[in-house]
Amino acid sequence: MEFRYIAALLLATSSFALAQPKPPQKIFPYSYVQEDLPNGLRLITVPTDFPNIVSLYIVVNTGSRNEIESGKSGFAHLFEHLMFRGSPEYPPDLYQSELSKAGAASNAYTSDDLTAFHTTFSKDDLPRILSMEADRFQHLAYDEPAFRTETLAVLGEYNKNSSSPTARISETLRATAFSTHTYRHTTMGFIKDIEAMPGEYDYSRQFFDRYYRPEYTTIIVAGDVNPKQIRSLVDEGWGAWKRGSYKPEIPAEPPQDGPRTAHIDWPSATLPYIAVAFRGPAYGDDNEETAALDAIARLGFDDNSPLYQKLVIEQQKVDFLRASPPDNLDPELFTIAARVKKPEDLPAVEQQMIATVEGFAANSVDPARLDALKKHLRYSFALGLNNSEAVAGTIARYVALRRTPETINRYYDTYAKLTPADIQSAARKYLIAKNRTEVTLTARGLSK
Amino acid sequence: MTRCVIPILLAVTSCAGAAPRLVELPGKSPLITIRIVFTTGAASDPADKPGLAHLTGDLLGEGGTKDLTYKQVVDAMYPMATSVSVYSDKEMTTFVGATHLDNLDRFYGLMRDMILKPGWRTTDFERLRDDAVNDLRVSLRGNNDEELGKEELYNIIYAGRAYGHEDLGTVAALQKMTLADVQKFYRDRYTQSNVIIGIAGGYPPEFARRIKRDFSSLPAGTPSSAATEPATEPPLSIERNRVTILQKDTRAVAWSFGFPIDVKRGDPDYPALLVAQSYLGQHRESGGVLFQRLRELRGLNYGDYAYIEYFPRGMFRLEPEPNIARLDQIFQIWIRPVEPQNAVFALRGALFELDHLIKNGIPEKKFDEIRQFLPKFVNVLTKTKSAELGYAIDSLYYGIPNYNDYIKNALARLTAEDVNRAVRKHLRADNLEIVAVAGDGNALRSELTGDAPTPIHYIAVKPTAVLEEDKAIERWPLHLRPQDVRILSADSVFEDVGPGLPPATR
Repeated sequence: MEFRYIAALLLATSSFALAQPKPPQKIFPYSYVQEDLPNGLRLITVPTDFPNIVSLYIVVNTGSRNEIESGKSGFAHLFEHLMFRGSPEYPPDLYQSELSKAGAASNAYTSDDLTAFHTTFSKDDLPRILSMEADRFQHLAYDEPAFRTETLAVLGEYNKNSSSPTARISETLRATAFSTHTYRHTTMGFIKDIEAMPGEYDYSRQFFDRYYRPEYTTIIVAGDVNPKQIRSLVDEGWGAWKRGSYKPEIPAEPPQDGPRTAHIDWPSATLPYIAVAFRGPAYGDDNEETAALDAIARLGFDDNSPLYQKLVIEQQKVDFLRASPPDNLDPELFTIAARVKKPEDLPAVEQQMIATVEGFAANSVDPARLDALKKHLRYSFALGLNNSEAVAGTIARYVALRRTPETINRYYDTYAKLTPADIQSAARKYLIAKNRTEVTLTARGLSK
Repeated sequence: MTRCVIPILLAVTSCAGAAPRLVELPGKSPLITIRIVFTTGAASDPADKPGLAHLTGDLLGEGGTKDLTYKQVVDAMYPMATSVSVYSDKEMTTFVGATHLDNLDRFYGLMRDMILKPGWRTTDFERLRDDAVNDLRVSLRGNNDEELGKEELYNIIYAGRAYGHEDLGTVAALQKMTLADVQKFYRDRYTQSNVIIGIAGGYPPEFARRIKRDFSSLPAGTPSSAATEPATEPPLSIERNRVTILQKDTRAVAWSFGFPIDVKRGDPDYPALLVAQSYLGQHRESGGVLFQRLRELRGLNYGDYAYIEYFPRGMFRLEPEPNIARLDQIFQIWIRPVEPQNAVFALRGALFELDHLIKNGIPEKKFDEIRQFLPKFVNVLTKTKSAELGYAIDSLYYGIPNYNDYIKNALARLTAEDVNRAVRKHLRADNLEIVAVAGDGNALRSELTGDAPTPIHYIAVKPTAVLEEDKAIERWPLHLRPQDVRILSADSVFEDVGPGLPPATR
């Protein structure tokens, strides 16, 4: 794999050199320092030109994907909450008070493949905050009553999400498309597991012991910073953290053997929704499949796509249409979702969504459209990195996949070389009836 | 807007009269942000046409230009990865876009034509009017209990006034609206005296002159009266606690409650109330008293926060959008969805904490902490050039200096006693307008109006001190009679023409 990548890069560089005087710039515009501590902790420091502010992301390569035991879905996300329950040296009150004094904006999120803790603040407070974070990652302490109380905050989060149909569609889509892999459940987890969480104190300690370890963790510091100073602060605070030994065996999903469907009767008034998904590949920065499916999502379903223009702008049958390609550590879904104005239009909209992806398999895309897309992506990426938090946050997402910002450059290099033939072959391989799962949602009393 | 104070440290190159005002934040970045703000919005809607300002903004932003259809605009912007987003509130309608310097001319030309040479195509008008109806009925009323409660709180508090209807309008009014209505609104309100243009980044100096010249083609107009109307209306009073329960099939109970305050940015008590807001609970920050006592200590829900300024779409945002400035504000507490069995306890818990602050004042230690927090946190609020530009425009509107300096300077002089005095003057824990979104309205009404305590149901052992405090909270007086609590089907709101819901029966 590695050899193939290097060979491809050499080929690309030489052919590009013939065509243009300058080699293409890397898409990630900042220089960064990436280094590993002896215990396996990784540190990525990115000095940016945005003054005064520092953004700190601590990424644990553990998400709902790691929830392999039955009845334990939602624990990675629960842990995102529990990490704010304090340590002997920094009980929650003191931790909060220190963050307040730093004027910090602090939060966390969990996804399929990662849990990220992020704090953005003024640079003078960096030593203090790095030291507090080192403390909670190594010495988190919470008792059973605090644990039980926090599980209710998670239930509260489920409750506040539950008035949105899209949360239910996502739950149903995963549970229908996957039978074995942990992507079967959302990051929130199955509601029955959330309701059972209060009784799982002992398991929570085990979960922490497994995953909150240096070899699973990457610290990203972006902003008005000096990498040498950061390294010495990290050595001091995080050097003594003990490496763990746990490696989860994530169950592999067997190949899908035919189309699947599910329907949701929604209890209150809503417009109908439809999601059409196809089992896709795992993220790859060294082959064209991830980029090809991303291109199909954009060319097929973005605002300027023929289908969007037809259904949303001209016929006005749909008021939302979007596709999202798979970009996870393990094979996940290429999903197209639409909100339809009239229930009777659902079948026609569904048929056109499928016909659109079939069109990518049958026909080669217009090279001019592909070139416009590539240009769009480079500008879009640059426009997105408009502050230090955005820089650190962008890296965090990729760290879950390859643990290095370099994957961003590799992925976009692959994208830059993408051909119409690559797109066609990805569509033929993945966007086929055998791999398809469809979920519809209509207001109760209306059938599909 | 009759005031125009040129704030210190802001490059404002023109002011008042009939010339477009320009706010510049020149820099070195190749990313250029343009914010074009019209000081007109839902408060300027004609009484029988709620939603007109919003629809006008949308049609400019998503209706193409005279020369290009919407599709052609989207296609032209695509290779540049640019777009223009539009949002509107009571007193402002904002068009914002960002581009790489490479594409500034092309992008700006499109953005300018969207606003100055609109397409006015009937099909776009019909599509966006449909979108507004669906946003009201489905996105807001059907699928977002929290935003529904927060928005209805405003509509009820301001019923019968310029602020008293949803920005999107009502279904009945939208269905009668015509393209001619939109064009008339545009002619009357999109004027030189109502426009503030903001640009930030490494743009060439001649660009500032060009954009100002281009927008000088708008009619001169007179300064929008709408911006001053709300402030000149007599103060609102709420004589007792009143509850509106919006009933729908839902798992939990979402609460919002509040009352108008006579404090906005620039007023003497604004910095003090900002500290009080932080103490009770800064949006999505976990250090506030409400978050700590209701969520962290008792596990009641996902979060609880206080507001002294309008903050829409809070469930999707960690920081507020700029350019939703309002000359009238309310104080509000947002209690995120609570399991029905603990719902009334959570409401009482929030009132208990609010009352505690009013009676006992802010602890010195917390005051010191917040005084350190806020001057730094404003840097986070303005961490992007787009936000910094938006805040600069708001500061011009409110007539204050650069927001960050304004907060830093004011807090440097502030004392805990200033905060306590402002809290006693402006805040209260009774005479509230309260909105709930709930599944079983009758059960909730019985709990709210009965004499029985509403104890919390725990699943964990709690310290004695907490259990003692719970006894006070579960009996916290709500002073609600059955006639003070009305139950409405959630499906009934936003349907009728006219200004919001009628006032509650007293």
